[in-house]
Amino acid sequence: VNIPSRPNISSRLDTIRARRTQLNISHKRDLLCDNAEFLVYHWSGQSEAFAPATGEQAKGDRINIGDHNCRVDSGKPFPYTAEMPSKLGKLENTPENWAADYRFFITHSPAIIDPDELIVGDFHWQLDEARTFRYPEEVHQLGYQARKLGAGGISFTHTCPDLSIGLALGWNGLLQKIRENRARFEAYGNEDSAAYLRASEQVVLGIQEYIRSYAKKARELAQQEIKPETKAIYQQVAQCTEAIANDKPKNLHEAIQWIQLFQISERMHGHGNGYGRLDALLQPFYEADCAAQRITREEARSLVAELFLRYGNYFSLGGKNREQNDATNEMSWICLEAFDMVGGYNHLGVMWHSKIDKAFWRYACDVVGRYGAGCPTLVNYDIFRESELRSGYPESDAWNVSYSGCQWYCSPGNEYSDHDVNCLVLVQPLQRAIERVVSQGLDSFEDLWNCYNYEVNLTADALRDFKNATYSWQPKVWPEMVTSLCAHGPIEKGRDITNSRSVNNAYTSVNVLGVPNVSDSLYAIEQLVYVNKKYSLKELQAALKSDWAGLEKMRQEFLHVPKFGNDHSGADEMAVRVSEHIRIVLESRQNIKGFNFRPSLFQFMGHTYAGPMLGATPDGRLSREPLAHGMNPMHGRNSGGMTATIRSFCKLDFRKYQGGSLQIELQPNFFPQQQRRGDLVDPFATSFFQMGGVQINLNVIALEKLQRAMEEPDLPEHQEIVVKVTGYSAHFVVMDRKFQEEFVERVNYKRL
Amino acid sequence: MTPSQKTGLIFNVHHLSTDDGPGLRDTFFLKGCALRCEWCHNPESIQSPREVWWNKNKCIGQLDCVRLCPTQALSFSTDGISIHRDTCNGCGICVDNCTAQAMEAIGETWTVDQLVTEALKDKLFFQNSGGGVTFSGGEPLKQAAFVIEAFARLKKEGISTALDTCGYLLRPHLEELLACTDLFLYDIKEMNNEQHRRWTGVSNEPILENLIALVDVISQQKKQPDLWVRTPLIPKRTASRENILAIGAFIKKNLGGRINRWELCAFNNICAQKYARLEQDWAFSNETLLDRNFSAELLELAKKSSGMSEQVFLTGLA
Repeated sequence: VNIPSRPNISSRLDTIRARRTQLNISHKRDLLCDNAEFLVYHWSGQSEAFAPATGEQAKGDRINIGDHNCRVDSGKPFPYTAEMPSKLGKLENTPENWAADYRFFITHSPAIIDPDELIVGDFHWQLDEARTFRYPEEVHQLGYQARKLGAGGISFTHTCPDLSIGLALGWNGLLQKIRENRARFEAYGNEDSAAYLRASEQVVLGIQEYIRSYAKKARELAQQEIKPETKAIYQQVAQCTEAIANDKPKNLHEAIQWIQLFQISERMHGHGNGYGRLDALLQPFYEADCAAQRITREEARSLVAELFLRYGNYFSLGGKNREQNDATNEMSWICLEAFDMVGGYNHLGVMWHSKIDKAFWRYACDVVGRYGAGCPTLVNYDIFRESELRSGYPESDAWNVSYSGCQWYCSPGNEYSDHDVNCLVLVQPLQRAIERVVSQGLDSFEDLWNCYNYEVNLTADALRDFKNATYSWQPKVWPEMVTSLCAHGPIEKGRDITNSRSVNNAYTSVNVLGVPNVSDSLYAIEQLVYVNKKYSLKELQAALKSDWAGLEKMRQEFLHVPKFGNDHSGADEMAVRVSEHIRIVLESRQNIKGFNFRPSLFQFMGHTYAGPMLGATPDGRLSREPLAHGMNPMHGRNSGGMTATIRSFCKLDFRKYQGGSLQIELQPNFFPQQQRRGDLVDPFATSFFQMGGVQINLNVIALEKLQRAMEEPDLPEHQEIVVKVTGYSAHFVVMDRKFQEEFVERVNYKRL
Repeated sequence: MTPSQKTGLIFNVHHLSTDDGPGLRDTFFLKGCALRCEWCHNPESIQSPREVWWNKNKCIGQLDCVRLCPTQALSFSTDGISIHRDTCNGCGICVDNCTAQAMEAIGETWTVDQLVTEALKDKLFFQNSGGGVTFSGGEPLKQAAFVIEAFARLKKEGISTALDTCGYLLRPHLEELLACTDLFLYDIKEMNNEQHRRWTGVSNEPILENLIALVDVISQQKKQPDLWVRTPLIPKRTASRENILAIGAFIKKNLGGRINRWELCAFNNICAQKYARLEQDWAFSNETLLDRNFSAELLELAKKSSGMSEQVFLTGLA
């Protein structure tokens, strides 16, 4: 199979790339969360989202998740906070009040333009740094109750708008659409929807003004600039932004610029959205440009590369089209080549399916093998689509599914399914079940299972109540009004995307933390307490309370009962039983929008900090040790090789879960020097997907290099290291120390 | 098909290996060896009978192993557990009774059926990558009957087979192996016979004669198996200009056009810890890795002398 070699990078792009990397490693893009509780439960009781970097709600010793923030830190708080409409007047929980703040905020956010950049758009502040983001006390009380039982969630920031709506209408078109619908609702006397759309209008007018400020600034810079090439680029920026402030994009350059400024305007909410199928979005513009002979392939590649260098958001390539044929097009190649050219921090995903263009797939596998930083993420479109259909998405929504974030996927513009930022810590119900069995003097494994079932249900109820309370306030407290502009329903109905009856699909996905630990624990208990009767549950309970102190032999016995991830039928059956159980429990809960809860076998970082918070577990785990990451076996417990792990993994039907990535850290010497890496990554990934796997995060990195990087983070060669941490990427040296330690512990694969 | 009761002693399995043949492979390491190479990277493979060894990182000091050993082959001191190889009969009672799994068996008995079942689980990976099963060791042909029967069964199941061999024991099994082997990975370590004897304990004459015989028979076959020659580059031993030139000349003269690849496999010292666990000294413990420039020079010499510039590769560099 012939695949392209890495395209050469121009010196202009190389400068932009260096600027980008510098921003990332100098902690200008850090994403903070409040504390360890947030990582574990996805809710801290302090912030309503990830921690605001500045402002009244920025407090305490926060944890740096990595350079995973679209925002560029300026080192200062938003200078006009005191003049925000909600500060001068009154903070009200209404879309109008929110929109007035948003319009003021975005029009007082500076246009950021660096020299020689054709694609512009950055921002320094999120709205929650200037507007108070706080749910009422009743919601918080339910949050604390859920936390106590082992669950939480922020209900915010993770969906995927359909940018084709905005690309087709432009800002004037969107404005017109809002006004037409507003007039309709006014005529019917639907004051709520009319009011929402009046607020929407304010949002769009603010964004248009903000985009014009880029044009104005670019013209000023052009005037001052002496170097003709730089001046010409400023002029192009001015022209492009001027045009797209009003009209729909007319060519590829305008389309990419439109996307970037939409993302910026939207990210000011505090979002972490995905943005859909980039190849499909851009292909019509590229075709039109080619037909008019106004663009070369290299120019197209360079424009996409600039979009990637602005931030590196979640986009996807590949997949199937509406007719279920391969959707790979010329822009799929151009986008992948663009990443291949610039490399580094990025969140591109390539969606495999049984009919994918084999050369394109081989190329994607080669790129991730060569860069070794989990990009592109390899995902299984067929499982994505079938999973959406199984949930209840209509065919017309499911075909367009797009990899959108860490492990999650969306039908762009057709859902607000609350992905990735809800958590259920499965260890806690198990701990309570053990207590219950011991205190009630019960004596069979099925008694333990019944107590576990009871406790899991309690936790799920608490989570449901907390989520529903949040949902009832969300459209009033923090509507997602920019995202709503590029969705199918909100403008037509005058209902924010966070509201009920707005978009077609509004499920609640819940990250389940500790599934392998719980299933390994239950299996060990079944074997040693109930089958072999070697220990009583009471003895085990005491051992766990003391963190196995003085009981190393006993701990070893629990540790060496077969574990999930080794293709052992008993251990794996328990893992399937536990996963199926939590799925059934969650699916039987409904949110107030009329959709059920769904489990995700993934949790982005809670496993690193959860250990001491939860204590020792019956799988032989010491309190200080991390939990398993997602559905991956515990570090060092998959002794039977990668294929055994994969067989264990694929005993789960991933259509029933909202993602469950296989995380692999490989040493570079796995690949023979003379062999193209794609030639090995492709058959490996293809086999995994044919067996029903859903996602592979592949890092190729030398253990020694990471260890040196921890000691000497300032060396340039260490600063360049990017890793796919779990579902997201980060520069290794920027990461929290505990994350680094956990990551290094994983790098144990000399071979698969 | 009647289930096979034939058994082999296997001391390690690597899944999805890229080291021994094309694609993604399962490599089974068979116990026992015909040679005694000074630099051996799998010292635990050399003895044919099953053995045990101790992993000090896992040990929690219960000492059930010492207490339960029927031949009193284990002793405990401040240095840890010592295994007296003369008295140990490999019964494995210590292994079975070690809670922490710190006592490990070197060698497990596998039936052909078990092996085929295990390999079939990875068949999809083999098919998609052009890989298969490799038998390595030790010297697999110390257990030739097992190899031949297992390969025949694997072939019937549509799995590609590769034999990693030193060639010393090949001749009596040549015909049978040709029927069930898709790839021979054949070592030529050293051309100077005196040195070969000193470093490996045997003459290289049968090895080279067997290789020529193999090439002769292969060229008469309708469906010809692939043949890769492999040379370990051992510092101060085989990694010399003279040796590479001599092997290259041998290949050109005797094997010209009949081999698919010649791999120069760079020395590494990862196995030092295995010698430590076996309580054996290793002459190469403190040996530095091969210099990059020197190995590149050897690669060039190999290409020139063998006349197969496109098919000579250097592998295993750090």
